[in-house]
Amino acid sequence: MRVTIDAQRCTGHGRCYVVAPALFTDDERGFGQVIADGEVTSKHEEMARAVVLACPEQAIICSDS
Amino acid sequence: MVDAIVTGGSFGLEDAPMTRDRSAGWAYFRSFGDVFEAGGSWYLTSAEAVQYAQQHPDLFSSARAFDSLGSPLPLVPIAMDPPEHVRYRRVLDPMLAPRVINAMDDELRRQLGILIDGFVDRGSCDGVADLAHLYPTQVFLTLFGMPLEDRDQFIEWAEFIIEHTGAAELEPNEQVVAVAGALFGYLQQFVDAKRHAPGDDMLSRILALSGEDAWTNEEVLGLCFLLTLAGLDTVTAEIGFLLFHLARDADLRRRVVLDPTLTAPLIEEVIRLEPPAPIQPRITTTEVEVAGVRIPAGKLVNIVVGAANRDPARFSSPNEINLESSDRGHFGFGGGIHRCLGSHLARRELRLALEEFHKRIPDYELAVGADPVVVWPSGTLHLTDLPLVFTAHGPS
Repeated sequence: MRVTIDAQRCTGHGRCYVVAPALFTDDERGFGQVIADGEVTSKHEEMARAVVLACPEQAIICSDS
Repeated sequence: MVDAIVTGGSFGLEDAPMTRDRSAGWAYFRSFGDVFEAGGSWYLTSAEAVQYAQQHPDLFSSARAFDSLGSPLPLVPIAMDPPEHVRYRRVLDPMLAPRVINAMDDELRRQLGILIDGFVDRGSCDGVADLAHLYPTQVFLTLFGMPLEDRDQFIEWAEFIIEHTGAAELEPNEQVVAVAGALFGYLQQFVDAKRHAPGDDMLSRILALSGEDAWTNEEVLGLCFLLTLAGLDTVTAEIGFLLFHLARDADLRRRVVLDPTLTAPLIEEVIRLEPPAPIQPRITTTEVEVAGVRIPAGKLVNIVVGAANRDPARFSSPNEINLESSDRGHFGFGGGIHRCLGSHLARRELRLALEEFHKRIPDYELAVGADPVVVWPSGTLHLTDLPLVFTAHGPS
Protein backbone atom coordinates (compact mmCIF):
# COMPACT_ATOMS: atom_id res chain seq x y z
CA MET A 1 0.00 0.00 0.00
CA ARG A 2 1.22 3.49 -0.90
CA VAL A 3 -0.11 7.04 -0.34
CA THR A 4 0.31 9.98 -2.69
CA ILE A 5 -1.06 13.53 -2.80
CA ASP A 6 -2.82 14.78 -5.93
CA ALA A 7 -1.10 18.17 -6.21
CA GLN A 8 -3.85 19.45 -8.52
CA ARG A 9 -6.44 19.02 -5.76
CA CYS A 10 -4.38 19.78 -2.65
CA THR A 11 -4.96 23.31 -1.33
CA GLY A 12 -3.18 23.04 1.99
CA HIS A 13 -5.86 22.19 4.54
CA GLY A 14 -3.14 20.35 6.41
CA ARG A 15 -5.29 17.55 7.73
CA CYS A 16 -3.07 14.74 6.42
CA TYR A 17 -0.09 15.42 8.67
CA VAL A 18 -2.41 15.83 11.67
CA VAL A 19 -4.43 12.67 11.06
CA ALA A 20 -1.54 10.55 9.73
CA PRO A 21 1.72 11.99 11.10
CA ALA A 22 3.53 8.72 10.34
CA LEU A 23 2.83 9.16 6.62
CA PHE A 24 2.80 12.93 6.01
CA THR A 25 4.65 16.02 7.16
CA ASP A 26 4.08 19.75 6.69
CA ASP A 27 6.10 21.96 4.37
CA GLU A 28 6.97 25.65 4.79
CA ARG A 29 3.60 26.69 3.31
CA GLY A 30 1.63 24.42 5.64
CA PHE A 31 0.85 21.98 2.81
CA GLY A 32 1.21 18.24 3.35
CA GLN A 33 4.09 16.23 1.94
CA VAL A 34 4.37 12.46 1.73
CA ILE A 35 7.13 11.13 3.98
CA ALA A 36 9.78 9.21 2.00
CA ASP A 37 8.14 7.24 -0.82
CA GLY A 38 4.72 6.96 0.81
CA GLU A 39 5.05 3.24 1.48
CA VAL A 40 2.48 2.20 4.11
CA THR A 41 3.55 -0.53 6.52
CA SER A 42 0.89 -2.88 7.82
CA LYS A 43 0.66 -1.12 11.17
CA HIS A 44 -0.27 2.17 9.42
CA GLU A 45 -2.87 0.80 7.01
CA GLU A 46 -5.76 1.98 9.15
CA MET A 47 -4.19 5.45 9.35
CA ALA A 48 -3.87 5.50 5.56
CA ARG A 49 -7.55 4.69 5.11
CA ALA A 50 -8.51 7.37 7.66
CA VAL A 51 -6.50 10.08 5.95
CA VAL A 52 -8.22 9.45 2.61
CA LEU A 53 -11.53 10.30 4.29
CA ALA A 54 -10.09 13.22 6.25
CA CYS A 55 -8.84 15.23 3.28
CA PRO A 56 -11.47 17.89 2.52
CA GLU A 57 -10.36 18.05 -1.12
CA GLN A 58 -10.21 14.27 -1.56
CA ALA A 59 -6.63 14.76 -2.70
CA ILE A 60 -5.09 11.71 -1.01
CA ILE A 61 -4.72 8.61 -3.10
CA CYS A 62 -4.13 5.27 -1.43
CA SER A 63 -3.14 2.54 -3.87
CA ASP A 64 -2.35 -1.11 -3.42
CA SER A 65 0.91 -1.03 -5.35
CA MET B 1 -27.07 18.52 -19.98
CA VAL B 2 -30.26 18.57 -17.97
CA ASP B 3 -32.61 21.39 -18.85
CA ALA B 4 -34.69 21.51 -15.71
CA ILE B 5 -35.17 24.85 -14.00
CA VAL B 6 -35.05 24.13 -10.30
CA THR B 7 -36.73 26.82 -8.30
CA GLY B 8 -36.57 27.15 -4.56
CA GLY B 9 -40.26 28.07 -4.59
CA SER B 10 -41.05 29.58 -1.22
CA PHE B 11 -37.43 29.65 -0.01
CA GLY B 12 -36.52 32.72 1.99
CA LEU B 13 -33.15 33.20 3.63
CA GLU B 14 -34.76 34.90 6.62
CA ASP B 15 -37.23 32.01 7.00
CA ALA B 16 -34.53 29.48 7.92
CA PRO B 17 -35.18 28.56 11.59
CA MET B 18 -31.58 29.19 12.62
CA THR B 19 -31.92 31.17 15.86
CA ARG B 20 -31.85 28.35 18.42
CA ASP B 21 -31.12 25.28 16.34
CA ARG B 22 -28.79 25.19 13.36
CA SER B 23 -29.82 21.59 12.66
CA ALA B 24 -33.27 22.87 11.76
CA GLY B 25 -31.84 25.91 10.01
CA TRP B 26 -29.58 23.99 7.63
CA ALA B 27 -32.21 21.26 7.12
CA TYR B 28 -34.45 24.05 5.82
CA PHE B 29 -31.85 24.85 3.14
CA ARG B 30 -31.35 21.18 2.27
CA SER B 31 -35.13 20.68 1.93
CA PHE B 32 -35.13 22.79 -1.25
CA GLY B 33 -32.62 20.51 -2.97
CA ASP B 34 -28.92 20.16 -3.71
CA VAL B 35 -29.00 23.08 -6.15
CA PHE B 36 -31.86 25.56 -6.37
CA GLU B 37 -32.68 29.11 -7.41
CA ALA B 38 -34.48 31.68 -5.29
CA GLY B 39 -34.84 35.41 -5.71
CA GLY B 40 -32.44 35.54 -8.64
CA SER B 41 -29.51 33.81 -6.94
CA TRP B 42 -28.55 30.17 -6.62
CA TYR B 43 -27.84 27.96 -3.64
CA LEU B 44 -25.59 24.89 -3.48
CA THR B 45 -26.35 22.75 -0.43
CA SER B 46 -24.92 19.25 -0.99
CA ALA B 47 -21.33 18.16 -0.38
CA GLU B 48 -20.95 17.24 -4.04
CA ALA B 49 -22.27 20.56 -5.38
CA VAL B 50 -20.28 22.65 -2.89
CA GLN B 51 -17.07 20.80 -3.65
CA TYR B 52 -17.60 21.17 -7.40
CA ALA B 53 -17.95 24.96 -7.11
CA GLN B 54 -14.97 25.28 -4.77
CA GLN B 55 -12.74 23.24 -7.06
CA HIS B 56 -13.70 25.13 -10.25
CA PRO B 57 -12.71 28.77 -9.68
CA ASP B 58 -12.64 29.21 -13.47
CA LEU B 59 -16.42 28.65 -13.53
CA PHE B 60 -17.23 30.22 -10.14
CA SER B 61 -15.45 33.56 -9.85
CA SER B 62 -14.65 35.29 -6.58
CA ALA B 63 -13.45 38.51 -8.21
CA ARG B 64 -16.88 40.12 -8.52
CA ALA B 65 -18.59 38.20 -5.76
CA PHE B 66 -17.47 40.37 -2.86
CA ASP B 67 -18.64 43.70 -4.29
CA SER B 68 -21.39 43.94 -1.69
CA LEU B 69 -18.82 44.51 1.04
CA GLY B 70 -18.15 47.84 -0.65
CA SER B 71 -14.46 47.74 0.11
CA PRO B 72 -12.60 50.69 -1.41
CA LEU B 73 -9.48 48.48 -1.40
CA PRO B 74 -8.67 45.21 -3.14
CA LEU B 75 -9.76 42.39 -0.82
CA VAL B 76 -6.51 40.46 -0.99
CA PRO B 77 -6.75 37.51 -1.67
CA ILE B 78 -10.40 36.47 -1.11
CA ALA B 79 -11.84 38.50 -3.99
CA MET B 80 -9.20 37.38 -6.48
CA ASP B 81 -9.22 34.75 -9.20
CA PRO B 82 -6.20 32.98 -10.65
CA PRO B 83 -3.60 34.00 -11.69
CA GLU B 84 -3.55 37.04 -9.34
CA HIS B 85 -4.72 34.85 -6.47
CA VAL B 86 -1.70 32.55 -6.82
CA ARG B 87 0.71 35.43 -6.45
CA TYR B 88 -0.77 36.47 -3.10
CA ARG B 89 -1.19 33.00 -1.64
CA ARG B 90 2.37 32.01 -2.51
CA VAL B 91 3.53 34.79 -0.22
CA LEU B 92 0.83 34.58 2.46
CA ASP B 93 0.56 30.81 3.03
CA PRO B 94 4.07 30.49 4.52
CA MET B 95 3.36 33.37 6.90
CA LEU B 96 0.42 31.47 8.43
CA ALA B 97 1.83 27.95 8.26
CA PRO B 98 1.74 25.77 11.40
CA ARG B 99 5.50 25.94 11.91
CA VAL B 100 5.31 29.75 12.02
CA ILE B 101 2.35 29.71 14.38
CA ASN B 102 4.23 27.43 16.79
CA ALA B 103 6.35 30.44 17.73
CA MET B 104 3.24 32.29 19.00
CA ASP B 105 1.97 29.57 21.35
CA ASP B 106 3.57 30.76 24.58
CA GLU B 107 2.54 34.37 24.08
CA LEU B 108 -1.04 33.43 23.20
CA ARG B 109 -1.30 31.15 26.25
CA ARG B 110 0.00 34.00 28.43
CA GLN B 111 -2.66 36.37 27.06
CA LEU B 112 -5.41 33.79 27.51
CA GLY B 113 -4.30 33.26 31.11
CA ILE B 114 -4.69 36.95 31.85
CA LEU B 115 -8.14 37.12 30.22
CA ILE B 116 -9.47 34.02 32.00
CA ASP B 117 -7.92 34.94 35.35
CA GLY B 118 -9.94 38.14 35.04
CA PHE B 119 -13.17 36.25 35.75
CA VAL B 120 -12.11 32.91 37.25
CA ASP B 121 -12.85 34.08 40.83
CA ARG B 122 -16.29 35.45 39.92
CA GLY B 123 -17.94 32.08 39.44
CA SER B 124 -19.63 33.33 36.31
CA CYS B 125 -18.71 34.88 32.99
CA ASP B 126 -20.08 35.65 29.60
CA GLY B 127 -18.11 33.31 27.36
CA VAL B 128 -18.64 35.67 24.44
CA ALA B 129 -18.09 39.12 25.98
CA ASP B 130 -15.34 38.17 28.45
CA LEU B 131 -13.25 35.88 26.28
CA ALA B 132 -14.40 35.14 22.72
CA HIS B 133 -14.90 38.80 21.91
CA LEU B 134 -11.46 39.97 23.10
CA TYR B 135 -8.96 37.25 22.33
CA PRO B 136 -9.04 37.05 18.48
CA THR B 137 -8.31 40.77 18.17
CA GLN B 138 -5.39 40.37 20.55
CA VAL B 139 -4.09 37.56 18.35
CA PHE B 140 -4.36 39.77 15.27
CA LEU B 141 -2.58 42.66 17.00
CA THR B 142 0.14 40.26 18.19
CA LEU B 143 0.56 38.75 14.71
CA PHE B 144 0.82 42.19 13.12
CA GLY B 145 3.03 43.71 15.80
CA MET B 146 0.54 46.30 17.00
CA PRO B 147 -0.09 47.30 20.65
CA LEU B 148 -2.60 45.28 22.69
CA GLU B 149 -3.71 48.52 24.37
CA ASP B 150 -5.52 49.41 21.14
CA ARG B 151 -7.68 46.29 21.37
CA ASP B 152 -10.95 47.89 22.42
CA GLN B 153 -10.76 50.70 19.86
CA PHE B 154 -9.89 48.19 17.18
CA ILE B 155 -12.85 45.98 18.12
CA GLU B 156 -15.20 48.95 18.03
CA TRP B 157 -14.17 49.86 14.48
CA ALA B 158 -14.16 46.29 13.19
CA GLU B 159 -17.55 45.45 14.69
CA PHE B 160 -19.17 48.55 13.29
CA ILE B 161 -17.92 47.75 9.80
CA ILE B 162 -18.93 44.08 10.02
CA GLU B 163 -22.40 44.92 11.32
CA HIS B 164 -23.07 47.50 8.65
CA THR B 165 -21.77 45.78 5.55
CA GLY B 166 -22.72 42.67 3.64
CA ALA B 167 -25.48 41.50 1.42
CA ALA B 168 -28.21 43.42 3.23
CA GLU B 169 -26.66 46.80 2.43
CA LEU B 170 -27.08 48.08 -1.10
CA GLU B 171 -24.17 50.47 -0.80
CA PRO B 172 -21.82 51.45 2.01
CA ASN B 173 -23.32 54.26 4.07
CA GLU B 174 -21.48 57.39 5.17
CA GLN B 175 -20.92 56.18 8.71
CA VAL B 176 -19.27 52.99 7.52
CA VAL B 177 -17.03 54.97 5.20
CA ALA B 178 -16.05 57.21 8.13
CA VAL B 179 -15.30 54.29 10.46
CA ALA B 180 -13.42 52.42 7.72
CA GLY B 181 -11.42 55.62 7.19
CA ALA B 182 -10.49 55.71 10.87
CA LEU B 183 -9.42 52.06 10.76
CA PHE B 184 -7.39 52.61 7.58
CA GLY B 185 -5.75 55.67 9.16
CA TYR B 186 -4.78 53.62 12.18
CA LEU B 187 -3.39 50.78 10.05
CA GLN B 188 -1.54 53.22 7.78
CA GLN B 189 0.44 54.56 10.77
CA PHE B 190 1.85 51.10 11.37
CA VAL B 191 2.46 50.44 7.69
CA ASP B 192 4.49 53.67 7.50
CA ALA B 193 6.36 52.99 10.74
CA LYS B 194 7.20 49.38 9.88
CA ARG B 195 8.40 50.26 6.41
CA HIS B 196 11.16 52.26 8.07
CA ALA B 197 11.71 50.15 11.16
CA PRO B 198 10.57 46.55 10.55
CA GLY B 199 9.69 44.38 13.51
CA ASP B 200 9.39 40.62 13.90
CA ASP B 201 5.79 40.41 12.73
CA MET B 202 3.70 39.48 9.68
CA LEU B 203 3.03 43.07 8.61
CA SER B 204 6.76 43.82 8.55
CA ARG B 205 7.39 40.66 6.54
CA ILE B 206 4.83 41.69 3.91
CA LEU B 207 6.30 45.19 3.72
CA ALA B 208 9.76 43.70 3.27
CA LEU B 209 8.76 41.92 0.05
CA SER B 210 10.79 43.35 -2.79
CA GLY B 211 11.07 43.29 -6.56
CA GLU B 212 8.22 41.52 -8.35
CA ASP B 213 6.78 40.34 -5.05
CA ALA B 214 6.48 43.83 -3.53
CA TRP B 215 2.98 44.93 -2.61
CA THR B 216 1.44 48.36 -3.12
CA ASN B 217 0.17 50.31 -0.13
CA GLU B 218 -3.40 49.57 -1.24
CA GLU B 219 -2.75 45.84 -1.34
CA VAL B 220 -1.27 45.88 2.17
CA LEU B 221 -4.21 47.84 3.55
CA GLY B 222 -6.63 45.59 1.64
CA LEU B 223 -5.15 42.52 3.29
CA CYS B 224 -5.29 44.16 6.74
CA PHE B 225 -8.92 45.06 6.09
CA LEU B 226 -9.78 41.53 4.98
CA LEU B 227 -8.08 39.93 7.99
CA THR B 228 -10.04 42.33 10.19
CA LEU B 229 -13.30 41.29 8.53
CA ALA B 230 -12.53 37.57 8.25
CA GLY B 231 -10.20 36.74 11.11
CA LEU B 232 -11.75 38.28 14.19
CA ASP B 233 -15.48 37.68 14.45
CA THR B 234 -15.16 34.19 12.95
CA VAL B 235 -12.88 33.02 15.76
CA THR B 236 -15.02 34.91 18.27
CA ALA B 237 -18.04 33.03 16.94
CA GLU B 238 -16.35 29.65 17.12
CA ILE B 239 -15.11 30.05 20.70
CA GLY B 240 -18.69 30.90 21.59
CA PHE B 241 -20.04 27.79 19.85
CA LEU B 242 -17.40 25.52 21.41
CA LEU B 243 -18.13 26.71 24.94
CA PHE B 244 -21.87 26.53 24.20
CA HIS B 245 -21.77 22.87 23.14
CA LEU B 246 -19.51 21.96 26.04
CA ALA B 247 -21.56 23.88 28.60
CA ARG B 248 -24.83 22.23 27.67
CA ASP B 249 -23.47 18.66 27.43
CA ALA B 250 -21.92 17.46 30.70
CA ASP B 251 -20.77 14.12 29.27
CA LEU B 252 -19.02 15.75 26.33
CA ARG B 253 -17.40 18.30 28.64
CA ARG B 254 -16.07 15.66 31.04
CA ARG B 255 -14.69 13.55 28.21
CA VAL B 256 -12.80 16.47 26.69
CA VAL B 257 -11.52 17.82 30.02
CA LEU B 258 -10.30 14.36 31.11
CA ASP B 259 -8.73 13.61 27.73
CA PRO B 260 -7.32 16.78 26.14
CA THR B 261 -6.41 14.81 22.98
CA LEU B 262 -10.13 15.05 22.21
CA THR B 263 -9.95 18.84 22.02
CA ALA B 264 -8.80 18.90 18.38
CA PRO B 265 -11.46 16.42 17.19
CA LEU B 266 -14.10 18.41 19.09
CA ILE B 267 -12.98 21.60 17.34
CA GLU B 268 -13.34 19.92 13.92
CA GLU B 269 -16.84 18.73 14.74
CA VAL B 270 -18.03 22.08 16.09
CA ILE B 271 -16.60 23.91 13.06
CA ARG B 272 -18.42 21.40 10.86
CA LEU B 273 -21.74 21.89 12.65
CA GLU B 274 -21.42 25.61 13.36
CA PRO B 275 -19.28 27.16 10.62
CA PRO B 276 -19.02 30.87 11.41
CA ALA B 277 -18.84 31.80 7.71
CA PRO B 278 -21.58 29.46 6.47
CA ILE B 279 -22.23 30.91 3.00
CA GLN B 280 -19.65 32.02 0.43
CA PRO B 281 -20.53 33.93 -2.74
CA ARG B 282 -19.34 33.28 -6.29
CA ILE B 283 -20.40 34.58 -9.73
CA THR B 284 -20.70 32.12 -12.60
CA THR B 285 -18.39 33.00 -15.50
CA THR B 286 -20.30 30.88 -18.01
CA GLU B 287 -23.28 28.56 -18.06
CA VAL B 288 -22.47 25.66 -15.75
CA GLU B 289 -24.07 22.39 -14.73
CA VAL B 290 -23.91 21.37 -11.09
CA ALA B 291 -25.36 18.09 -9.84
CA GLY B 292 -27.47 17.93 -13.00
CA VAL B 293 -28.82 21.47 -12.72
CA ARG B 294 -27.99 24.22 -15.21
CA ILE B 295 -27.01 27.67 -13.87
CA PRO B 296 -26.76 30.54 -16.37
CA ALA B 297 -23.68 32.77 -16.71
CA GLY B 298 -23.32 35.84 -14.50
CA LYS B 299 -25.43 34.53 -11.61
CA LEU B 300 -24.72 34.90 -7.92
CA VAL B 301 -24.14 31.43 -6.47
CA ASN B 302 -24.20 30.88 -2.71
CA ILE B 303 -21.96 28.05 -1.57
CA VAL B 304 -23.82 26.91 1.55
CA VAL B 305 -21.13 25.12 3.52
CA GLY B 306 -23.37 25.13 6.60
CA ALA B 307 -25.77 22.80 4.78
CA ALA B 308 -23.13 20.73 2.97
CA ASN B 309 -21.43 20.05 6.31
CA ARG B 310 -24.56 18.13 7.31
CA ASP B 311 -24.99 16.20 4.07
CA PRO B 312 -25.75 12.60 5.10
CA ALA B 313 -24.06 11.41 1.90
CA ARG B 314 -20.74 12.41 3.43
CA PHE B 315 -21.23 12.52 7.21
CA SER B 316 -22.43 9.51 9.14
CA SER B 317 -23.92 11.52 12.02
CA PRO B 318 -24.76 14.70 10.14
CA ASN B 319 -26.31 16.65 13.01
CA GLU B 320 -24.40 15.30 16.02
CA ILE B 321 -20.95 15.85 17.46
CA ASN B 322 -19.14 12.57 16.83
CA LEU B 323 -15.58 12.58 18.18
CA GLU B 324 -14.90 9.13 16.73
CA SER B 325 -15.44 10.18 13.12
CA SER B 326 -14.42 13.80 13.39
CA ASP B 327 -12.18 13.76 10.35
CA ARG B 328 -14.44 13.48 7.35
CA GLY B 329 -13.25 16.47 5.38
CA HIS B 330 -15.75 19.19 6.26
CA PHE B 331 -16.16 22.52 4.42
CA GLY B 332 -15.94 24.78 7.47
CA PHE B 333 -12.80 26.49 6.17
CA GLY B 334 -14.13 26.59 2.63
CA GLY B 335 -12.25 24.64 -0.01
CA GLY B 336 -10.46 24.79 -3.30
CA ILE B 337 -7.94 27.57 -3.87
CA HIS B 338 -9.74 29.89 -1.43
CA ARG B 339 -9.35 27.52 1.53
CA CYS B 340 -9.28 29.82 4.57
CA LEU B 341 -5.85 31.44 4.68
CA GLY B 342 -6.02 31.58 8.46
CA SER B 343 -7.24 28.01 9.01
CA HIS B 344 -4.08 26.84 10.77
CA LEU B 345 -4.01 29.90 13.01
CA ALA B 346 -7.73 29.63 13.77
CA ARG B 347 -7.45 25.99 14.80
CA ARG B 348 -4.52 26.87 17.06
CA GLU B 349 -6.34 29.83 18.60
CA LEU B 350 -9.33 27.63 19.37
CA ARG B 351 -7.30 24.78 20.84
CA LEU B 352 -5.22 27.07 23.07
CA ALA B 353 -8.35 28.89 24.23
CA LEU B 354 -10.07 25.66 25.25
CA GLU B 355 -6.96 24.24 26.91
CA GLU B 356 -6.33 27.37 28.97
CA PHE B 357 -10.02 27.68 29.86
CA HIS B 358 -10.25 24.07 31.01
CA LYS B 359 -7.01 24.35 33.00
CA ARG B 360 -8.69 26.99 35.14
CA ILE B 361 -12.38 26.12 34.77
CA PRO B 362 -12.80 22.38 34.23
CA ASP B 363 -16.50 22.33 35.04
CA TYR B 364 -19.09 24.86 33.97
CA GLU B 365 -22.60 25.08 32.62
CA LEU B 366 -25.10 27.48 31.11
CA ALA B 367 -26.49 29.95 33.67
CA VAL B 368 -30.09 29.30 34.73
CA GLY B 369 -32.45 30.83 32.21
CA ALA B 370 -29.71 31.35 29.63
CA ASP B 371 -31.04 31.02 26.09
CA PRO B 372 -28.13 31.58 23.70
CA VAL B 373 -29.31 32.58 20.23
CA VAL B 374 -27.71 33.54 16.94
CA VAL B 375 -28.72 36.54 14.86
CA TRP B 376 -30.07 35.46 11.48
CA PRO B 377 -29.58 36.31 8.66
CA SER B 378 -26.04 37.33 9.36
CA GLY B 379 -22.78 37.12 7.40
CA THR B 380 -20.99 35.66 10.40
CA LEU B 381 -23.08 33.21 12.38
CA HIS B 382 -22.42 33.76 16.09
CA LEU B 383 -24.01 33.58 19.51
CA THR B 384 -24.79 37.03 20.87
CA ASP B 385 -23.96 36.07 24.46
CA LEU B 386 -23.17 32.99 26.53
CA PRO B 387 -23.76 33.29 30.30
CA LEU B 388 -21.79 30.56 32.08
CA VAL B 389 -21.55 29.59 35.76
CA PHE B 390 -18.85 27.54 37.50
CA THR B 391 -17.24 27.04 40.90
CA ALA B 392 -15.22 30.14 41.70
CA HIS B 393 -11.62 29.94 42.82
CA GLY B 394 -8.62 32.27 42.91
CA PRO B 395 -6.57 33.10 39.83
CA SER B 396 -3.98 30.43 39.04
